[in-house]
Amino acid sequence: MLVIVLTKGVPARTTQAAQVGGVLNREAMELVLNPHDAKAVEAADYVKRRVGGKTVALSMGPDTKLVPLMKPLYASEVSGVDEEYVLSDRKMAGGDTLATSYAVALGVRKVVERHTKAIEELEEMIKKAGYSEAVKAKAKELYAANLLSNRVYSDLPSVRGTIVSRFLSGDATSSGAVQELEAEKARVSRFIVLAGTKTTDGETGSVGPQVAEGLSELLGVVVPHATYVEDFDVDPSASTVDSRRMIGYLSQKLEMRLPALLTVAAEYRPRSPPAAGMKEVRANSYRGKVYQPFKWTAEDIGADPKKIGLVNSPTIVGTGIDIGKPPVQKSVGSTQVFLKAVEKTEFEGKAYGPYSRGDVAADVPEGLVARLRADGSVGVFDVPMLAEELTA
Amino acid sequence: MSDDSKGVWVYLQHDSAGLTVPSLELIAAGRSVADKLGQELVGVILGSGLDKMADAAVQRGADRVILVDSQDLETYLNLAYADAIYSLVKERKPYVLLITANEVGKDIAGRVAYRVPTGLATDNVQLAVEDYSNPVLGQFKDLLIQVRPDFGTRLARIYTPRHRPQMATVRPGSFTPLEPDPKRKGKVEKVPFKAPGYPAKVTEVVELPPPTPDLAGADVVISLGLGVLKDRSGSPKDPRDAYRLALDLKSAFETRGMKAEIGATRALIYAELKELEGIIGKNNQVGQTGATVKPKVYVAAGISGALQHRVGMQNSTKIVAINTDPGAPIFKIAHYPVVGDLYEELPKLAEAVRRGAIAG
Ligand SMILES: Cc1cc2nc3c(=O)[nH]c(=O)nc-3n(C[C@H](O)[C@H](O)[C@H](O)COP(=O)(O)OP(=O)(O)OC[C@H]3O[C@@H](n4cnc5c(N)ncnc54)[C@H](O)[C@@H]3O)c2cc1C
Repeated sequence: MLVIVLTKGVPARTTQAAQVGGVLNREAMELVLNPHDAKAVEAADYVKRRVGGKTVALSMGPDTKLVPLMKPLYASEVSGVDEEYVLSDRKMAGGDTLATSYAVALGVRKVVERHTKAIEELEEMIKKAGYSEAVKAKAKELYAANLLSNRVYSDLPSVRGTIVSRFLSGDATSSGAVQELEAEKARVSRFIVLAGTKTTDGETGSVGPQVAEGLSELLGVVVPHATYVEDFDVDPSASTVDSRRMIGYLSQKLEMRLPALLTVAAEYRPRSPPAAGMKEVRANSYRGKVYQPFKWTAEDIGADPKKIGLVNSPTIVGTGIDIGKPPVQKSVGSTQVFLKAVEKTEFEGKAYGPYSRGDVAADVPEGLVARLRADGSVGVFDVPMLAEELTA
Repeated sequence: MSDDSKGVWVYLQHDSAGLTVPSLELIAAGRSVADKLGQELVGVILGSGLDKMADAAVQRGADRVILVDSQDLETYLNLAYADAIYSLVKERKPYVLLITANEVGKDIAGRVAYRVPTGLATDNVQLAVEDYSNPVLGQFKDLLIQVRPDFGTRLARIYTPRHRPQMATVRPGSFTPLEPDPKRKGKVEKVPFKAPGYPAKVTEVVELPPPTPDLAGADVVISLGLGVLKDRSGSPKDPRDAYRLALDLKSAFETRGMKAEIGATRALIYAELKELEGIIGKNNQVGQTGATVKPKVYVAAGISGALQHRVGMQNSTKIVAINTDPGAPIFKIAHYPVVGDLYEELPKLAEAVRRGAIAG
């Protein structure tokens, strides 16, 4: 099973975010992996141990920055990710959630396609070359590239009766082998995408659901999603996922057919995978790790140039604004306020008031304040008056 | 973009008690936008057996209510809800679509926006209508200005000039519901919905008690920040003492019939102090990544007033700030600045609040 984790590089310190016209300049900043993605990585590892397969980390941003950030994921708990992909292209920079989700969905599709294409290549070879060394060589090559599961071909001594070995030994006919490979292709198409609930820079939480929608459009099947997943499991045949999530005060259980996308909440704790079914887990697994991250451009993933990057993003970030007007303030221990109601008063030929208790004596001339202080009408705002106003 | 798009739409959520408070806030938000545009405010309600909801929406400010009433919407399923909203939007082309920025709103909004396609500005705390011009894109009249917390510095204005509807999610607590007006009249229409088969199904729904503390429902929120670590002279303090003082102030307000709760800054929560374990946690957090509150009284004790904190509490009616640093940014938005040590000022305030109860 293909387990695809979305990870993002975010500014190490949001306060020092380098911005150009409201858009983060990721090339100029120190980046870290989005802390909310850690749970998605844990969840991916669980799925791999539960049903077998391989975990793939997919990220978008400048590859020179991201590759070093993603390196530690190869060694993350428990078994680490197996492959890494970076969508890196200036043309995709500065995209809003719509443009970003489109590109990420294309990236996911391409990861899946690499695997279905490998199976198709093998099918072609079987149809064309029949029982021959060429089939074996092709299978070996694709297996080495980490593109075929142990079910199809394996060099592990513990794995017997792969599709290719049964075909080569004559136990399976060519049409039988092709049929089995078609079933394997269907398995590859039942992938799972895992993401954090949100990122610490954008904080939108929109990308997960939007990637699911993007995949639905690209693949022509509805790819369901569940957000804020606290617990989930994949069924042993790797065709459905059962999730539990909190929506408001409701705890909802959602059963989704794969392919599906989950955003994983901070509350998630991986289960312990059952010990049974190890044979199936092994069959679903791949050769191992590919330590050389793949770098793909917009063209590589087949992006429509009109749908990516800053200029094609529907939303535009405008000028910032400072919040809140300073309120009328009463400082405890310093602001002069009226301690009692005072009728309209004449002072040096001008009328002032009337005032009520608590009014700030701000635009009252000093001479008048002195007089009002003397008769106890004005005084310093204190804690008891504060308490009085708060409970009024 | 089609310029014939018209109408301000609000997607209204409800529970067994009727329209939710954030939905009433959303109507108020939509009302202000619709008035500025001179357009109709349309409430969209999804579910089954919705007849009662329509009147409430009208009384709170909607001009028209669309009830998508269907057995297929009885249980919340994101795919079905997104489909129902999307098909209405596609058919009727609203100018603006507002959705509450909670788990449900965020579950649906992204999918709908992608499908339209249009932009989605999330977590807005203010909305406005203004003309907008951009050297590349040109002039736009009467755009929705979506105001949301920025990457960490300020609030940002977000525009969606070329796509319709302009879609935004609005943070709960950012607008005040309008008083119900039983005489208000509005149009109500019912729209059917038939769900196609989905590769997803809800297998269980359990209602859990609301989280404690109920920050959003409190009259008074007393929040603590990292200032609890040291007193005025700089000597270390046990943060539990500050917590006790806050609890004492809470009970003082409660003697005055005001429901009070304890809040905290993210910095205090993330400091993961051993002493506060199990006492103050994520549920206490006020701010951009915590709760948005607007109680009658907000007491900020030992809180610097970072923007991410302010966006969660700046709409409180009366803000008291206790801080040893006269230059702390929190004082810019406080109605009642108290320059001083929280360890001295909190007990004084508690005593004065209690005393008032006796005097009054
Ligand atoms: C993406 C993002 C999201 C965030 N979300 C949130 C959020 O939701 N909520 C939130 O609160 N923060 C949030 N933050 C963190 C925020 O930026 C600040 O770091 C945080 O609010 C600061 O907390 P503080 O005021 O407790 O600490 P400080 O900034 O350290 O302030 C402590 C204050 O206490 C004062 N003080 C010290 N001793 C005393 C004393 N004895 N008596 C009185 N005053 C004293 C000091 O003068 C100082 O002003 C977020 C940050 C980011 C980057």
